[in-house]
Amino acid sequence: MAYGLPLLATLAEVPAPGAGAADAELVAQLQQGSEAAFRTLVARFQGRVYSTAFSLLRSAEEAEDVAQEVFVEVYQTIGRFRGEAALSTWLYRLATSRALHHRRRLNTRKRFAFFTSLLGFTNHLLHDVPDHAHPQALLEEAQQLHLLHLHIGRLPAQQQVAFTLRYEQELRYDEIAAVLDTSVAAVESLLYRARHTLRQHLQSTTRHV
Amino acid sequence: MSDTPPRPGSDAEWEALLAQLRQQPLAQPRPFFYARVQARLQAQRAAPLARLPGWLRRPAYAALLGALVLAVSGDGAALRAAPAASPPAPVPRALTH
Repeated sequence: MAYGLPLLATLAEVPAPGAGAADAELVAQLQQGSEAAFRTLVARFQGRVYSTAFSLLRSAEEAEDVAQEVFVEVYQTIGRFRGEAALSTWLYRLATSRALHHRRRLNTRKRFAFFTSLLGFTNHLLHDVPDHAHPQALLEEAQQLHLLHLHIGRLPAQQQVAFTLRYEQELRYDEIAAVLDTSVAAVESLLYRARHTLRQHLQSTTRHV
Repeated sequence: MSDTPPRPGSDAEWEALLAQLRQQPLAQPRPFFYARVQARLQAQRAAPLARLPGWLRRPAYAALLGALVLAVSGDGAALRAAPAASPPAPVPRALTH
């Protein structure tokens, strides 16, 4: 997969869009080992980190786990942060890459559990949650949104991250490009393809109702 | 007529759906998130060995791994023929003619 884990190693190449002086001061305090600064950092970014992870995973438990991992990693590696990218860029990057990694691990575990259940090693039944919604109800707004989330979750990783950062976190194109370590043109292309795919899937779903 | 609802899959419907997505309140972590992050940090500090894979933390497996590494990384000296201290016996001259 093209979207790997470009964390601290590539930060030098990422421009710093709107890195505020407040963040720079916070980083300096963190690098001196200030617990109060760490508390401030968590308070300032926990919502963005958690909601990004939640958007990609659609599970409160998994999002909590990823958000905790992100802040633990920040605490442990802040000494290597050189401030050449915005702090928020680094955090979004950590959150998205960790969430995708988490999802891959969950999918692998789910496939393995399904396989072992087929062989009868466990008594658990693993299947997708059935959708009992009346077909007519799928046309309702809430159901459309539910369908949209479902199809967002099936997009390729980079498209999904770009779409989530754009339409849920409301990041600018250049900010998304910094998080994904790519160009603005590439982000435009990712978003175009994501929108096209989503519209196609939603139209075909509606047609089959 | 402006009151006509947008047909399924139309641009208007798609834009409305995206607007709806944007208006969704962002998910927030449960209260006392910072306390849970701190607890996780404390747990990691308390158990540095926990970062190692489980099988590596068991002495028997570690010893087995060590033995395997030693066996594989040998230069094969034990398998070679006897060293030059005992050179091969010269072939009798009678046999060479």
